Amino acid sequence: MNEQLPDPWISSVGIDIGTSTTKMILSRLKLMRTSSAISLPRFDIVERELLYESPIYSTPLKSGDEVDAEQIWQILAKEYELAGIRPEELKSGAVIITGEAANKRNAKQILHLLAERSGDFVVATAGADLEGLLAGKGAGAEDRSKRIRGAVANIDIGGGTANAAIFQRGKPIGTVTFHVGGRLIQVDTGGMIIAVSPSIRPWLDASGYRLEAGQTISFEVLKEICSAMSRNMLDYLTGRAIPDREKPIRALIPGEPLTPVPSVEEWMFSGGIGRLMEEAKPDNLAETAVHGDIGPLLAHTLKECAAQYPIRLVKPDQTVRATVIGAGMQSTEISGATVHLDKSVLPIRNLPVMKLELSSHLLEHPESLAEALAQTMRNGANLYEQDASPPFALALSGLSNCTYFSLQYLSDKLSEGFKTYFPSSGVMVIVCESDIAKALGQSLERRCGAIPKVVCIDQIKVEHGDYIDLGEPIFGTMIPVVVKTLAFHNRVGVTNV
Amino acid sequence: MNRIIPLDQLVDKVMAELEKKLPAATTQSTTSLREAARTEPSVDVTGFGELASNVPNPKWEEGLDELIASTPARIGVWRAGTRPLTREMLKFRCDHAAAVDSVYGTVSQSLLDEFGLFTVDTYFENTDNYLKRPDRGRIVTEEGVERIRKNCQMKPQVQVLVSDGLSANAIDGNLRDVYPSLLDSLKAYGLKVGTPFFVRGGRVAVMDHIGDILQPEVLVLLIGERPGLVSSKSMSAYMCYRPRKGTVESDRTVISNIHPLGTPPLEAGAHIGTVLKTMLEQKTSGVHLDI
Repeated sequence: MNEQLPDPWISSVGIDIGTSTTKMILSRLKLMRTSSAISLPRFDIVERELLYESPIYSTPLKSGDEVDAEQIWQILAKEYELAGIRPEELKSGAVIITGEAANKRNAKQILHLLAERSGDFVVATAGADLEGLLAGKGAGAEDRSKRIRGAVANIDIGGGTANAAIFQRGKPIGTVTFHVGGRLIQVDTGGMIIAVSPSIRPWLDASGYRLEAGQTISFEVLKEICSAMSRNMLDYLTGRAIPDREKPIRALIPGEPLTPVPSVEEWMFSGGIGRLMEEAKPDNLAETAVHGDIGPLLAHTLKECAAQYPIRLVKPDQTVRATVIGAGMQSTEISGATVHLDKSVLPIRNLPVMKLELSSHLLEHPESLAEALAQTMRNGANLYEQDASPPFALALSGLSNCTYFSLQYLSDKLSEGFKTYFPSSGVMVIVCESDIAKALGQSLERRCGAIPKVVCIDQIKVEHGDYIDLGEPIFGTMIPVVVKTLAFHNRVGVTNV
Repeated sequence: MNRIIPLDQLVDKVMAELEKKLPAATTQSTTSLREAARTEPSVDVTGFGELASNVPNPKWEEGLDELIASTPARIGVWRAGTRPLTREMLKFRCDHAAAVDSVYGTVSQSLLDEFGLFTVDTYFENTDNYLKRPDRGRIVTEEGVERIRKNCQMKPQVQVLVSDGLSANAIDGNLRDVYPSLLDSLKAYGLKVGTPFFVRGGRVAVMDHIGDILQPEVLVLLIGERPGLVSSKSMSAYMCYRPRKGTVESDRTVISNIHPLGTPPLEAGAHIGTVLKTMLEQKTSGVHLDI
């Protein structure tokens, strides 16, 4: 029966362009039917295999505020060759631009350029929430949380930012970003300050430190700064300090603080700082400034600081490659296998999500349902381009007990509403949580006729404000989906990529 | 069979006793429980409410909730001494009674009329005989064969059949969702459907007899499954490419456990359409079908 089944492996790439380093990995993901032969088909990624890791490159910069796209592409082209793969063979994956690199002037442009050149369905991602989640998955915090009772935090610290993601029983329950990183203060072996990143200035001011380039600093003061920075971050993460009351902590968090912070049983540190924690402890300025920054010192003061909290410190599966491995191996989900697709309009990249939560009350009261749908369509028409095909993805939850009658009514209102508010749009995209997409897609198509075309998928959980990428059909019945979540808060930075 | 009737009576007696003894509030809930059992609401068949833990002071409450949410099986039900709690015992018996009722129930005539399904009988005669003689449920009566020949389109591309099988409740509970969704799906694929009808007292292999009579390209039988303690209204869809006398079980494709808490009825209907289309394309079914 399975003899003719096509190759179950799909190849996936991860590319991480960070504040100080750039790296790529190549992996393959195995798709298998996980439902029994007498149930509706359902496929999942059952195995992830790392095939190739690139060396760690310094992120090439053109000038202080621009990343050198051509050089990055040259690095990648060389790495693809070494890995023995052509971009056309890559069926999924993600390019992520992280830390301070995400704030560079041409970040957005670079992402899209790289995503399109890197493979058929390689998506562009950015945003600290997603970065933190991918690092947490790559470091193994998500997996670890399935095996213990309490929450597990992974704090991924690179050159410019620290991204914490907290998982409980396999589910992400919070993310938060800090201006904490190894390259925020650059020093030479003689203690001369080479540069201070603007993003750490508010915290330095609030904490009473005056640092200027050209100034010389002692090992002790530098250690005190690293120590204070670590303590502020960990105090906040453990709920010992509240950002609104303590000015330095507030200055350390670029976005909205996470309230309340879930309590954590175990934590792990990934990223460049995570790796430096495993290396020798620096005892003087010369040992500190081996990379020309405070990285090694920050790593070890943080390690000492973390030991003072009643939280178990565990070793991550990955340190410096956590984010790139998360992006390459854990960013892709698979839709349900009974869905309604239109191959001609796929892939679709960067689609904003509007969510409508349906309830059994709404489904039983046609007037309220019609009003709720009209409201959603109106909002969509105000927010997004009306002639875009598609303008947005409509996420529907609460359809698990839907009857045929309600489904017909829902389809009527959805198709009418879409045609009214988006008369010149050629594609309608619906994302359902429960297994109903084939039935809903068929009834929508019957109503819509040739235009708009209908893509209706299910078993993907998205939230209002997320962005999704929909890939080309696999085995003709399902598609890979990348959800770029902004679930925890709308953050500053390049979230809308 | 004789063991089952006293059980029903026992439940009634226990309930009557409870109504007499318990305070007003509880009486109300036991009464509504009996009503619920009679009127069959959409999901909560028994009126016992959501599955929840009875374990007092569990060591890890979230973990227990996670386990309970992962299965409809009776776990975390707790005990009084070495015995089940009264409520759990009643729930068990109520579910059991619902299962028995499904076997002995009949499909609502108004439902069959709603979809214009005429009825033919097999040689089952009565439910007791149906249970003892599965072979009888595989042959349509002579009168039924006449009716089929008179009313049905011969050699259709797709033949749809509905049968009560072991659970009339399954048909009452799911046909309104599965059947129209299936017809929509067939229409979307441009497949032509013959004249559907209802087989009273049918077994799965009745498809072979009807296949011989009508000679369809593919046939789908929506039939009530043997009821269990989790659901008394679970339905299966058996599908076969050119079913004829002598068809073996491995030539049939099945999608089972169709009910609101199992395989979702609407999506099942839509998917059955896809399976039938694939059978027509590959000209085979059962283990030879590549889907």
